[in-house]
Parts: sequence; C-alpha cells; structure tokens
Amino acid sequence: MNIRAQRPGRIVLRYLLLLAVLAISIGPFLWQLSTSLKGVGEDIYSYPPQFVPSEPTARNYARVADVVPVWGFALNSLLVAVANVAANCVGAALAGYALARMRFFGRKFVVLAFVLALLVPGESIMISLFLMMRSMQLSNTLLAVVLPGAVSALNVLLMRNAFAGLSYAVEEASLIDGANAWQRFTRIALPSVKGTIAVVAIFSFMFSWDDFLWPLIVLHDPDKYTLTIGLNYLQGTFASDQRLIAAGTIIAVAPLILMFLALQKYFFRGVGAGAVKG
Amino acid sequence: MRSARILLAAVTSVAVVSLSACGIGGSGDSGSQSTANDGPVTGDVTGTISFETWNLKAKYSDYFTGLIKQFEQQHPGAKVNWLDQPADGYADKLSADASADSLPDVINLSPDFAYPLYKKKLLLDLDKAAPDAAKDYLPNAWQGNVMPGQKDNYAFPWYLNTGPYFYNKKLFTDGGLDPNKPPTTYDELAQQGLTLAKNTNGAFAMLGQTPQIEDLGLYGVDLMDPAGTKFTFNSAKGVKLVELYKSMYDAKALLPEALSATYTGSGKKFLAQQVAISSGSAYDLQTFRTDAPSLYANVGITAPMTNTGHANMYVQGLSVAAHSKNKATAIAFGRFVTNAQNQMAFAKIVTVFPSTAGTLNDPFFTQDDGTDIGRVRVASAKQLANGINYTPVQLSDQMKTVLRNELANAMLGKSTPQQALDNAVNQCNQLLGH
Repeated sequence: MNIRAQRPGRIVLRYLLLLAVLAISIGPFLWQLSTSLKGVGEDIYSYPPQFVPSEPTARNYARVADVVPVWGFALNSLLVAVANVAANCVGAALAGYALARMRFFGRKFVVLAFVLALLVPGESIMISLFLMMRSMQLSNTLLAVVLPGAVSALNVLLMRNAFAGLSYAVEEASLIDGANAWQRFTRIALPSVKGTIAVVAIFSFMFSWDDFLWPLIVLHDPDKYTLTIGLNYLQGTFASDQRLIAAGTIIAVAPLILMFLALQKYFFRGVGAGAVKG
Repeated sequence: MRSARILLAAVTSVAVVSLSACGIGGSGDSGSQSTANDGPVTGDVTGTISFETWNLKAKYSDYFTGLIKQFEQQHPGAKVNWLDQPADGYADKLSADASADSLPDVINLSPDFAYPLYKKKLLLDLDKAAPDAAKDYLPNAWQGNVMPGQKDNYAFPWYLNTGPYFYNKKLFTDGGLDPNKPPTTYDELAQQGLTLAKNTNGAFAMLGQTPQIEDLGLYGVDLMDPAGTKFTFNSAKGVKLVELYKSMYDAKALLPEALSATYTGSGKKFLAQQVAISSGSAYDLQTFRTDAPSLYANVGITAPMTNTGHANMYVQGLSVAAHSKNKATAIAFGRFVTNAQNQMAFAKIVTVFPSTAGTLNDPFFTQDDGTDIGRVRVASAKQLANGINYTPVQLSDQMKTVLRNELANAMLGKSTPQQALDNAVNQCNQLLGH
C-alpha cells in the first residue's frame, strides 16, 4: 500500500509550506514585474497588492532607454562580466589544480591564505584598492573594474575541492603512460569538473553583474558605467517613478535568469560535486 | 538594504581614517600645500574644471548642459566637465575621492556631506575666497552652510527645500477625526493619533516614523551645545517628545514598521494608505497623482508642526575643492549656477526653492495659481523666509542609525525614553570624537 495515500494531511501541509516559501521568494519579483507593466494613473502601492495591471503597457521599458543610455551600460556590464567569467574559469582552474595535485613547498600555507582571503570583507580594502588602481593609472577603466575579482579565492577553493575529489588512480595511469602535468590537467582532470566550472562561471557572472560599489568608486566617466550604476539613476532625487525602477530591475535581472537557465543542468551537478566536500 | 548600506558607509569611512593615518592617502601629503584659505582668489576664469552633481542627470540633463554651454560662452577658454553621481553610494564615492585627493572642482553637497570633507581641509573657505558673495544669498541659507564652531562658509547655497504635511482625509474620517482639523502641534498629533487608534483597532495607523532629529529640533529641543561640540538632545523636552511617540506606539497609532523605517519607507506607507499623515515636499503631489490616484483624491495639505515658530529647511550647496587647480574658474562657475536667474529657472522645473536674496519675492512664489501645487509652493516659500536647517551637520548617517535604534528600544519598552536618549547622545558624542 502506498505510504502517501495514508497521510494526505501531511502532503497538503508539505505543499502549503512549499507554496508559502515560493510566495515569499518570488512575490517581490512578481510585484516588480507587474509594476513595470502598469500604466500611469494606476495605484501601485495599494494594499493588498494588485498583481494584474488594469492598463498593461510596455512603454515603461522604452522610457528606461529614454532616461538613461541603458544599452551602453549593458554593453559595459557584459564586457566586464565576460572578462570576469573568463578570468575566473581559467585562473581558478589552474590554481585549483595546482593546489590539489602539485606537490610544492608551502602548499598548505597557500591553501590557508586562500581561506583567509575569504574572510576579508571587500569593503574594508576598497579604498586601498582604489588608491592602488590610481597609482597604476588604471582608475576610470573597465580593466580596473575586473581586476580585483578576476580570480576570486572562493572559486579557487571550489576548483581545488573538485580536483581533489577526482580519483587519482586515473591520473597515475596516464602518468605512467608518459603524460606531463599539462596533459593530465587538460585531458584528464578538466573534462571531469565541467559542473564546477559552470558553478564558477555563474557565480562570477552574478558577482560582476550585480557589483555596485566598486565600479561606482573606480569609474568617473558616466560613459563607462555598468548597468547596476546606470540603472541607479532611475531613482530620482526628487520624485522617483517606481514603474521605471521596476522596468530597469527586470532589464538587469533578465540576463541572469537566461544564464542560469542555460547552465542549470551543469549547475546542479556542479553544486553537488564540488561544493559540499570540505 | 538601506541599513546594510549605512553599515558599508561606516566601514568605508573607518577605512579612510585608518588609511590617512598611515599616510598612504593622498590627502595627508597635500596638506602641506597652501590651501588658499588665506585670502580672495583672483585670476582668469579659464581652464577645465569638473562639476559633480548628485543624481540630477537623468531628469535635468537639458538644464545643466544649457547652463554649462552658457558659462563656456561667457568665459572663452573655460571648460566644464559635468559628472553626475547616481543616487546610492554618494558618501562612499566622496570618501574614496577624498582619500585619493581626486575630488572634483565644484561639488554638490548638503552640509552633512560637506562636514567630513571640511574637517580634512578639503573645501575652500568661501567667506575668504569670495568675500563679496555672501550678500547675494538669503542670510539663513548662507548660515546653513557655515560649519559649527566656525564663522566661515564652505558652500555657495543652492536649492532649498521644505514642505507641508500631507494627510489622508478619508482615513481621518474613518478614524473618527475631523478631516478639516489636522494636528498643528506634536501634542495634538499624539492626541489625535490615540483617538484614531482607538476607533480603527489597528487597521491603519496615524504615523509611520519614529521621531527624527528634525522632529526633536522642531519640538524645541536644543540639539547641540552652542559651540557645536556635543549633542544635548537628551534634555527633559526631548524625553517628553519620545514619551508622546511611545504612547502612540503602545496604542498602535504608530505603525510597528516605524521602528526601522527611513524617510522614504514612511512615505511609501502613506502612498499605500496605511498611515494617515506624513511630511512631504511640493513635488510629492505629482507622485500621488501618478502612483496613488485614489490617495490623491483624498489628500489634505497642512502646515508642518512646530513648537519653535520656524519650519525645518533642507539646504544643498556647491562647494569648491581646496586643491582645485582652477579655483577662480571653479568659484565663478559655482556662483554662476547659484545666481538668482539660474536658480529661478531650476526652481521652475523641479519645485524646489532658490536661496538667492529676494528671489522668493517673485510672484511665482507669492501668488498661488489656484492649483494644489501652486498652493503648496506659496506656503512652502513662506516657511523658508524664517526656516532653519535643524539637522546638525555633524550628524552622520551612522549617528542617525544610532538614534533610530535607540528610539526603537524605547518604543519596545526595552529602555525608558530617558535611557534611550542618553544612550544615543553618548554614542553620537563618542562618534564625534569625545
């Protein structure tokens, strides 16, 4: 006999809880989406909130582009994000493999240094980073936006754990066959950790796409602003139009959702493979 | 979100202080350079300067590009580079630029943002650098940019703002109050709030915010000692006001979310028609009309509550960086943007108020055209004639958070109003460096 059939109450409770969590996590997003579609003259702060716009319009999205040069900002964000993803995937894989497989003096200390680096909040070193970029004549460049997060400690540790989790016997066999370190890395180890690389790609894309404070501090020229800074202009000093802000938010979030949908197959595999092992 | 940002600001400013102590920061070294706080700045109005505003580009781009073009035509050889910072993170950006000594030449600052820069000697003393400027502006606006314990001013006064209280006539009626008799003092506010709470049983509240430093000032509390060296708002009068709010909180006349609400948060609660009264500005009427039309139909407008006879006033100014390479151009441009004609033009597009002497006598500010906005504009302009900027410039964002948290403790009954204010005063004084 089916166990579930015996306890319908429990299943109802389970689904109610799941629905409640769903409402909490996507409710605010739905509110933004519905606000971005509302026409002028609709109550947007009504309580309880009204999710279906009575005069739906896409004009708010067009108006975002009128108020701020949103495509230029998006291009800057994309450049920064792609550079960040590339640097993190390559850099973290190389460093992670070295930490997991190479034997060299002080390896444990290097791993410890990466763990400690996780504990330093970025905000506390931001001013010194800014002074550094200035002295390197890099302030107000997109390169300066990318550099501090180019190979992040978290990603290096993720990759290290993924490589350490692979069976060493396979690599030993190829070692006997005469493969050098580079060949073992590219032919054997790397293809086995695709999932973790997808995790690193998504994390670094999200990090650089959402970052606000660092690009704000290091960039002066509005032409170089990234999307998060640019869309912040929609919050007017005097009266801000919530519909525009909502439309801007949706524009900013859309690429993240697309990226996640494209990589989700690898993502869940990767989270299971690399992240949970200490 | 907001509190996380405040924390960030606090962390960053700590970082700035510790850095300049080690001498890595540029500002430490340039202190030895003459900062021209010695006398009037003379020289040709030429060369390139940068001009930083705070979140005005998206909406008022045409106004500023027109202004800059006009200035460049009047002064051949002068060039103005306009930078506009977005809404969030302005304090962080300023502190980063300050520590790298890369502040723009002309900077849009409110007095509380100007204060930390002034303390590091990064702003030009305008009473000395442009001695003939003061007479062009309203005395209380010029005074509003004078740093505490100083005689001199560090910013050309720019736009001013003040506003009425808006109240929801429908909620007043539903709560058993007379919609034609909104409160005129804080004591009446509490009294009416208690009546409303009794009649509505918590369906909606009177007010959405615990007292701000401005409220304490308007209630007649002396916020600081005359020399501006320490906070004193824990006096008997201050305690009295907090007790009024506590009685409202206990009766549910004060929204529970008020404990952590910022100014914008409380404004949204008014738009959502969950609170019956809220302070505001002339330009809010437009927001009501587009974002909350059912509220707009019932909105009432009344004079702000005050025990001192003065209304509160917010001041924005244009400061000149002490290390600017083109001080003469920067001063000329600062005065050009804040001159009567250009301020008047700006006031007409934004519904803020000019700080130049005599401009508020223009019929635009004295005769209402029968519209709601016209009425609010005329009433606000009248308030400005003797308005006071009650927010002490020394009150940083961090201190505002301290005050809000201590008041939350008082509302929750974790401390008495006296204890809460004592704690807030002590912590703020410590942050001031006592």
